[in-house]
Amino acid sequence: MTSADVGVPADPSGARLEQSIARLLTGGTYAAIVLLAIGFALMIASGVSPLSGGPRFDITAIPGDLLALRPTGFLWLGLLVVVATPAARVLASLIGYARRGEQRMVIVAALILAVIALSVVAATGLEG
Amino acid sequence: MTDGLLLLIGGVAAGVFGSLLGLGGGILIVPFLTLVFGFPLLEAVGVSLVCVIMTSGAAAGVYLERRVANLRLGMTLELFTAIGALFGGLIAFLLPERLLEFVFALLLAYTALTMARRRDASEAPADATPPPAANDLASDDHAFLDTLSGPGYRVHNLGFGVIGSVVAGIASALLGIGGGLVKVPVMHVIMGVPLRVATATSNLMIGITASASAIIYLIRGSIDPYAAAPTAIGVFIGASIGSRTAHRIQLRVLRGLFVAILLYTAWQMLQRALG
Repeated sequence: MTSADVGVPADPSGARLEQSIARLLTGGTYAAIVLLAIGFALMIASGVSPLSGGPRFDITAIPGDLLALRPTGFLWLGLLVVVATPAARVLASLIGYARRGEQRMVIVAALILAVIALSVVAATGLEG
Repeated sequence: MTDGLLLLIGGVAAGVFGSLLGLGGGILIVPFLTLVFGFPLLEAVGVSLVCVIMTSGAAAGVYLERRVANLRLGMTLELFTAIGALFGGLIAFLLPERLLEFVFALLLAYTALTMARRRDASEAPADATPPPAANDLASDDHAFLDTLSGPGYRVHNLGFGVIGSVVAGIASALLGIGGGLVKVPVMHVIMGVPLRVATATSNLMIGITASASAIIYLIRGSIDPYAAAPTAIGVFIGASIGSRTAHRIQLRVLRGLFVAILLYTAWQMLQRALG
């Protein structure tokens, strides 16, 4: 056992799964940072104060705002990447555990995704 | 421009302190946004949730790559933190803001006292693993607990872990924190997980915990993208600086300063709660 291998049992295919998930988490975080930084730079360039109160979230407006290089498009996309990255990690785990035939972990991952989906439904329902 | 820079600098400070002292930035971001900039508490919590997801994402990636975090255990417990966060995210909009401010003031005071009493990690026992609970588990449950365990430790008392996770999820959603203050002690002291693994696994779980409630804050219009961007970028930069400079800093002095800041902030938050 190396000094680093303290959290989990030695398991080559498990290690590969964890490496892929680690890359997904790191990549998602850096993608979000880049998008938020672009949005923030555009905000400053267009003279928008961060205390002026941003617009409400509207997923349908994002593509148009991105094409028009409006700050809100990059900011909302960055925030969506932040919020979606952990769920993407669970989805990747679900697929990985399914390939390894670990049914119990597949069920756990599926239930986590169901709770996340329920959050979306509950929040949307309350708004409606 | 100036306000954006102030938010960025405040985020950097929260990220540096949080990283050096092993706290998420959330405990600092919420008072920073409410007390300095006058944000409503729920909006501050929404921004804070974004920040804790981002810092935990980067750190959890490193912990997984080094195989310190226990993915199976983390996923099993985060199912329950997510349930707690869903519940907390829904009731947050029903509770009076002053009540939440009062609870946050208590959390700040509790964190300050815990930090004042905390010994250096090097002085802490390497593994305060109590013997497994003597309850009669079915062999199937034993087999499942075995899959959640790691080299040199065996996970037990999963029921307490489940309860602790639900509580951590509710606290995270109501107060915009990562919930490590609850999860790490439960995993380490009650479930027998080594401290280093418990800390890394808690970090991994923060992403799902915070995103379950952040989705609710996002859809209900309580995340302001203009304020969230500079703060989150600042926290990310600060956490990176903190993790690279931790070994060069006299943590005892810093901890004393931090305790004083937390107690002062708790007093300010209490005054705000009492109007």
